[in-house]
Amino acid sequence: MDLFLQQIINGLTTGSIYCLVALGLTLVYGVMHLPNFAHGSLYMMGAFITLTLIKSSGLNYWLAMLASAVALAAIGIAAERLVFHPLRNAPHANNLIAAVGLLLFLEGLAHVIWGPEFWQLPTPYDRVVQFLGLTITQQRLFIVAATLVLLAGLYLFLKKTLVGASIEAMSQDRKGASLVGIKVSRVSMLTFAIATGLAAVAASLAGPINLVYPSMGHIVILKAFVIIVLGGMGSLPGAVLGGYILGLAESMGATYISMAYKDLIAFAILVLILSLRPTGLLSGGVK
Amino acid sequence: MLRMIDVSVNYGHFRALKKISLEVNEGEMVALLGANGAGKSTIFQTISGLIKPAGGAIEFMGKRIDGLPPDQIVRLGVSQCPEGRHLFPQMSVYKNLILGAYVRSADRKGTAETLQEIYKLFPILEEKKNDPAGSLSGGQQQMLAIGRALMSRPRLLLLDEPSLGLSPLVTKEVFRVVKEINRAGTMVLLAEQNANVALRLVGRGYVIENGEIVLEDSSRGLLSNAQVKKAYIGA
Ligand SMILES: Nc1ncnc2c1ncn2[C@@H]1O[C@H](COP(=O)(O)OP(=O)(O)OP(=O)(O)O)[C@@H](O)[C@H]1O
Ligand SMILES: [Mg+2]
Repeated sequence: MDLFLQQIINGLTTGSIYCLVALGLTLVYGVMHLPNFAHGSLYMMGAFITLTLIKSSGLNYWLAMLASAVALAAIGIAAERLVFHPLRNAPHANNLIAAVGLLLFLEGLAHVIWGPEFWQLPTPYDRVVQFLGLTITQQRLFIVAATLVLLAGLYLFLKKTLVGASIEAMSQDRKGASLVGIKVSRVSMLTFAIATGLAAVAASLAGPINLVYPSMGHIVILKAFVIIVLGGMGSLPGAVLGGYILGLAESMGATYISMAYKDLIAFAILVLILSLRPTGLLSGGVK
Repeated sequence: MLRMIDVSVNYGHFRALKKISLEVNEGEMVALLGANGAGKSTIFQTISGLIKPAGGAIEFMGKRIDGLPPDQIVRLGVSQCPEGRHLFPQMSVYKNLILGAYVRSADRKGTAETLQEIYKLFPILEEKKNDPAGSLSGGQQQMLAIGRALMSRPRLLLLDEPSLGLSPLVTKEVFRVVKEINRAGTMVLLAEQNANVALRLVGRGYVIENGEIVLEDSSRGLLSNAQVKKAYIGA
């Protein structure tokens, strides 16, 4: 029973990280119809920037994470302006190629700046706590709590503010949004900023329990794509649901089936769900 | 007033509009008649700034608007209710209407007033204000699309085939309200294939074929025109 509970906590931790990454990916997809393959590299950049700020400027973990989120939001806006905006009327394939190009560029950049080594992100929450008779690191609890706060914040922003509504409007009907006077480029930039900012936070949260290295985004982005296909492309609740389903399934699978097959589980679930519901669990625009 | 002067539009190599000139004067309601593919929606999209013309000029209230981005054209008082409605299907009726007032969101009091006016014009929208737009019937969606377009308080309303897919009864109801909106001082440019209904509503109209204006006359003149009768009224 304890083992089971322990795995639930682990699953919720990984699920939280997946959630934050997948939310950004699905937001960008919903608004710009762009499957942003570079999202994983932006996630990686977020981890390295937090790491650098802590190691070299001695910034505390919180401030470093915040600064990294802001930096990544700026990088996201720059990527939208410099890479994707000029291609807005180009054939779809050009966007895909550009995304892959951006991925390669960012990874190369990380190699040049930080080298190929593996780093551990220091955290002030490195002690273990006893919780319901379980031994858990504080960081894991922090990840889950921080994610819940961010989810609530994002929900309120999208549902209760006009700026949030303009993002939803754009993802539900682009032409309708333009005709009421919503500026397409402003919403695109904002969406990118939110997505990359969330990725930076996710990476900074995960950094202390996983490692930080230039290709750390690969497996995360693959999983995030599985999640948004699973949840329904462009659906935010779908991304949250899919993120936690995958996180839990992986930790259960690793314990009760085999550690070696952990990463395979994501794809097994994908095949299973898509054969039952080809449009994903909660398909549709941003809800 | 709106004035299009020799406006041409290309889709790639295909010339969809050839030197279109038309105008809508203060207080007028004008029809734009044409068959499928004639170019009506292209004209509307060009006025709204979604498509840039290849040549010619568009003026609104004496100011050049061709080349301006869509949001500025809405701000200047030109609002479009597009063909196919383009509502935000998963948002409530209320939120669709509020987004219609996006360009004047700072004016909360004015927006609330306009909202009440729209509810008065289309009481069903108030009844269904919390329902997702996508759950409404076709007629109700059309009313919502018109309501949303009116939320910016336009001086000119571009209405693209509002009767499409609606029963004659609902069409009549929608047009009754459009007439009311026009009487209250809003200019209306109405695109229709259904000339019979449209011409009973407007003062004058243009007939467009293959991207060109081929006829311009008062509605009485058009209604008795043999060519129009044959092509658009089916009499
Ligand atoms: N995005 C586009 N790309 C290429 N050609 C287009 C595009 N949109 C419209 N066309 C073409 O331009 C012409 C005019 O189309 P438009 O939609 O303006 O006609 P319409 O009068 O609104 O027709 P309908 O009554 O069917 O709505 C048609 O021949 C159409 O095929
Ligand atoms: Mg049309």
